[in-house]
Amino acid sequence: MSEKNKLSAIEKIKLESDALRGTIQQSLQDEITGAIREGDQAVIKFHGMYQQDDRDRREERAAKKLDRLYSYMIRLRLPGGFLTADKWIAANNIAGENSTGVIKITTRQTIQLHGLIKAKIKPTIQAFNEAHLDSIATCGDINRNVSCSSNPKESPLHDKVFAYADKISTLLMPKTKAYYEIWLDEEMLIDKKVEEDPLYQDRYMPRKFKIGIAIPPNNDVDVFTNDIGLVAIIEDNELKGFNFAIGGGLSTTHGNTETYARLGTTIGFLDTEEKILKAVYEILTVQRDYGNRSDRKLARLKYTLDRMGVDEYRKEVEKRTGFEFEPARPFKITSRADRYGWEQNEKGNWYYTLFIENGRVLDDEKLALKTALLEVAKTGKTNFLFTSNQNMIISDVAPEDKDLINQLLEQFKIIEHTEAASSIRKNSIACVALPTCPLALAEAQRYMPLLLSKVEPLLQKYELENEQIVMRMTGCPNGCARPYAAEIGLVGTATGRYNLHLGGDNGGERLNRLFKESLDEAQILSELDQLFASFKEERISTESFGDYTWRKQLAVAQ
Amino acid sequence: MLGESKFKIFLDLINNSAKEELIWMNGYLNGVVQAQSKQSPAAETDGEPLVNKITIVYGTETGNSKRLATDFATKAKHKHIHAKVIGMDQYRLTDLPKEEYLLAVISTHGEGEPPIAAKKFYDHIHQNGFKLEKLKYSVLALGDTSYPLYCKTGEEVDEQLNKLGGIRIAPLQKCDVEYDDDANGWFNGVLEKLSNKKPVVTIEVAPSIPIPAVAKKVGKQSYTGSVLSKINLNDYGSNKETWHIEIAAEGVVYQCGDSIGIVPENPTGVVEEIIAVTGADRDRIVKFKNEEFTIYDFLKYKINIIHLTERLVKQYGEITRQDIPATRMNLLDLLKIYPVKDAVEFEEVILKMNAISPRLYTIASSPAAHDGEIHIVAVKDSYIVNGQTQFGLCTDYLSRLNNECSQKFFVQPNKRFKLPAADKDIIMVGPGTGIAAFRSFLAERDATGASGRNWLFFGDQHFATDFLYQTEIQNWYETGVLTKVNLAFSRDQKEKIYVQHKMLKHAPELYDWLEKGGYFFVCGKKDPMSVDVENTLLRIIEQQGNKTSEEAKKYLEHLEDEGRYEKDVY
Ligand code: SRM
Ligand SMILES: Cc1cc2nc3c(=O)[nH]c(=O)nc-3n(C[C@H](O)[C@H](O)[C@H](O)COP(=O)(O)OP(=O)(O)OC[C@H]3O[C@@H](n4cnc5c(N)ncnc54)[C@H](O)[C@@H]3O)c2cc1C
Ligand SMILES: Cc1cc2nc3c(=O)[nH]c(=O)nc-3n(C[C@H](O)[C@H](O)[C@H](O)COP(=O)(O)O)c2cc1C
Ligand code: SF4
Repeated sequence: MSEKNKLSAIEKIKLESDALRGTIQQSLQDEITGAIREGDQAVIKFHGMYQQDDRDRREERAAKKLDRLYSYMIRLRLPGGFLTADKWIAANNIAGENSTGVIKITTRQTIQLHGLIKAKIKPTIQAFNEAHLDSIATCGDINRNVSCSSNPKESPLHDKVFAYADKISTLLMPKTKAYYEIWLDEEMLIDKKVEEDPLYQDRYMPRKFKIGIAIPPNNDVDVFTNDIGLVAIIEDNELKGFNFAIGGGLSTTHGNTETYARLGTTIGFLDTEEKILKAVYEILTVQRDYGNRSDRKLARLKYTLDRMGVDEYRKEVEKRTGFEFEPARPFKITSRADRYGWEQNEKGNWYYTLFIENGRVLDDEKLALKTALLEVAKTGKTNFLFTSNQNMIISDVAPEDKDLINQLLEQFKIIEHTEAASSIRKNSIACVALPTCPLALAEAQRYMPLLLSKVEPLLQKYELENEQIVMRMTGCPNGCARPYAAEIGLVGTATGRYNLHLGGDNGGERLNRLFKESLDEAQILSELDQLFASFKEERISTESFGDYTWRKQLAVAQ
Repeated sequence: MLGESKFKIFLDLINNSAKEELIWMNGYLNGVVQAQSKQSPAAETDGEPLVNKITIVYGTETGNSKRLATDFATKAKHKHIHAKVIGMDQYRLTDLPKEEYLLAVISTHGEGEPPIAAKKFYDHIHQNGFKLEKLKYSVLALGDTSYPLYCKTGEEVDEQLNKLGGIRIAPLQKCDVEYDDDANGWFNGVLEKLSNKKPVVTIEVAPSIPIPAVAKKVGKQSYTGSVLSKINLNDYGSNKETWHIEIAAEGVVYQCGDSIGIVPENPTGVVEEIIAVTGADRDRIVKFKNEEFTIYDFLKYKINIIHLTERLVKQYGEITRQDIPATRMNLLDLLKIYPVKDAVEFEEVILKMNAISPRLYTIASSPAAHDGEIHIVAVKDSYIVNGQTQFGLCTDYLSRLNNECSQKFFVQPNKRFKLPAADKDIIMVGPGTGIAAFRSFLAERDATGASGRNWLFFGDQHFATDFLYQTEIQNWYETGVLTKVNLAFSRDQKEKIYVQHKMLKHAPELYDWLEKGGYFFVCGKKDPMSVDVENTLLRIIEQQGNKTSEEAKKYLEHLEDEGRYEKDVY
């Protein structure tokens, strides 16, 4: 990059945004375009939205002398991915009226609506607000949705741990009232003091910031891919506290060797709530003050950490908190899979985890998923939880209501659908990519299902269909479906071409490595065919596919 | 009067000069003469740039290149250089050989690939088989050093244009993510080279030059042009089909505000059926107003066979001695229900028919911006006869035209509906196909750098699918050619919103423009649009100028007398 020390354009926009107001109001008035002004495109991210356009329609519209078909994606703030039934109903209706109708469950346990046109943004946010939902700080250079192990069966202490996701999310909210002023028509602030923000000041974070909480032995949230990963330490059925792992982050840029995926480094353990929240807070302030603000590609905490050195960073945090981290406690992770089907927690309540391919909730000729979930919600006898594998848990079903819900799930073939899905499908995720994602170089969620249908026979061929292999695909190297933490990772490089990564472990404590570059479908399939064959031959006892490919050092020198 | 030697030099010069050069010299001399006669001081002080017309093309994915291109254009204007800004996806590749001064701003994407929108342009210049003799150019490449193939596309474009015979005005400039300083540096460099002064000459040079004989002809001048391109401007999901049609016609002479007339052909299917049901001899020659046709050609190209007038239907009854209720009918239906006795009677019938009447289309192009071309925009007309949807004869015909096929048309001048002097403000109300006249006006004012303010009111059904010429209108707005744009999309919200509602919303400013001598133009559907617009205009004059409705009417009549309220409605 040129002029290392110069602030990046986005930094200027943040500083001049008048606490995230920018010129959004004017942008909404511009009649001749469906887009908003350039600076505002960065600003509305902090309000939970992205400007996008239908990339499938670009060329044809240009020929018709029509501008791009601009629309907006909105992402809700749902700490720990929890939603009550009536909120789901609200989301369902809003999606129907204002967006494409598809509800997208993301890899960080929340939902997104796509295709809102400029004029529909305000009505949408107001409708969400009536349902006590908001999209504040779900995007932008700020702390994002805090994710948390979703399966209540994981531990009787799930509620306790879950409560932390909420507290942290609240602790790290921005102070600006811009969201209320712009979208909810609240009075303009006279006394700007109210907005003074000791954490974010007027520059916010140098880059997005992510926090995840895992409850061993399950690591469904991929805790080590977060800027701060909290691992719950549970000893003799008590929550002792959390191990802190910092500096996780996956994104890389093709051909830019300065960028790399990284798993969090554990810097210690803390017990009391007060200490835990304080430490989280100061880890942010250190990144805020030391993070790179001139080159956004090198601005995430992981780069700050490697530049300062882990000890230096920890010491700086301890200096600010006034206490030291204790040595990390031992824990064991065994998987990242969701526990499909019915499960009962220690309080006797029932939970049904259903498989939702790539988190896309809609009705199609095969399955009336959206209608089914609406019916379930209408009973008013459940809550909903989203998992980081883009699935959903119908939660908190009292024993006496289980039959009713089960009946609905039977009726709409949800149970059949979930049970029929192969285990590789159930362990796979893909990012959004085309047509909405502006950064996509290749297809992902539209293509993954088709590819899997061709991979499944290969597994059967070698009687490997019951292996719990984690396979993930993204349309570009940003890693939204965490492909670098998969046993089989496919990273889009160009239309129809993907880099094949191998060797991640089942629990997400090891990154995979690049194996072959820019493969087309035929090449992907023949590579996998050979790999499965040799795995079948050479695997040691119950060794996982990821561990096998790692042991065999299957990777190109990088 | 010139001495021998001078005269020879003069002749040589003329003989070795292209038409454009001659036109330029002519204008230049005019200027010099005028400058001397009233030895205008302006000549020394301010001056016209050596080059006063450039084209800036951009290839963008995320908008940076476009932003720069439009900024440059505005800068150029201040230096009295008129810059046409156009996206590579909009750019007509056949114009490339005509370009003299071309600036390309293009980014690199994917892994060293051109932006999707620039792909066609990029591929085109990578074919050989053509030369760009006239071309002088320079390339600004946007990129990001963190990619291995830094500014690859820009490099390739620069190299190709050179291979094709282009001469570099300034060397290739690559820019990293923080591109502003480098980009502006480059453009200032280019401006330097382009704007060495020459003495002021009267602008409007080109128009004022009598071009070939045709120009002298008066009244309706017919031409045979060839269809360059044809686009349906509406996107998927629209209720409409609005065709933008470009026709090349060398030496065609017209002015903004004129229309062209097109005589449609009858549908072959219907003609064949007529011949079938009457058993007529298709090749038999018939004489009509001392012109000769075969029966087939006569039915296909000459006479109107659709929706015959009651008079003609009555006449048909008389000839065939059948009594037919007074009504309008298509010839084919008549022939089916009330057959003719024989071929002779059939001939008698058709020879009494009317010729197909020409349909008029307001010209949507401008002489200064689209030399040697006529553009029109026609919305496919449809109507329902006993439950069946039928399409308008001419618009259906136009929607089937193929590229390169030749098309006859004549120019229908419109004396009153004319662009005023360059410094006058104009308000243009042109919903739907009414935009035609104003695309012509704006293109002309853009190309000639007219100083007057321009305010457009446009409307249609849906923003997403029916915003005719959206990208062009956006460009004119971004480059300041359009001062104000207000839009009314009737079906994007519960209550209907039309252009007149937008006029009301901006009443004070609209009245202020009129008071300051502004011109008011309306183009498009007569009913109800132009009526509602006129009533609204009266209301605005009443309210803003607190006048009685009588006084308001007077005010409007006064505007009309001064030619400041003009309509092209149908
Ligand atoms: C929806 C989601 C993928 C999905 O299919 O679920 C997603 C979708 C997008 N991500 Fe992501 N990211 C999503 C999880 C992730 C993850 C996984 C995670 O956090 O567990 C990562 C990798 C972890 C990390 O952050 O390192 C991730 C790393 C990125 C990056 C690279 C960030 C970086 O450090 O460079 C970008 C690009 C950027 O920010 O410049 C990005 C950008 C985007 C954008 C907003 C594209 C854009 O910037 O315009 C995508 C919107 C596509 C669309 O049309 O919806 N997304 N993104 C996930 C939403 C999570 C959420 O609810 O907040
Ligand atoms: C000065 C001027 C400028 C114009 N500029 C434009 C322009 O820029 N763009 C544009 O699109 N148009 C323009 N028009 C209108 C254009 O000239 C045509 O009138 C229009 O395109 C319809 O022609 P058509 O042959 O397609 O339809 P026609 O076949 O002429 O039909 C027109 C109407 O006649 C009736 N009709 C025809 N046949 C039958 C039948 N068999 N039974 C019942 N009813 C029938 C229907 O109501 C139908 O809608 C302009 C007109 C004028 C006078
Ligand atoms: C997906 C993607 C791929 C890119 N690839 C390249 C590249 O290969 N080489 C390069 O120099 N720049 C590359 N860039 C950087 C762009 O060229 C740079 O951002 C430029 O300013 C974009 O200009 P535009 O907005 O006009 O498209 C890439 C950018 C994106 C988003
Ligand atoms: S990984 Fe890339 S393509 Fe996929 S959603 Fe994220 S940014 Fe878009």
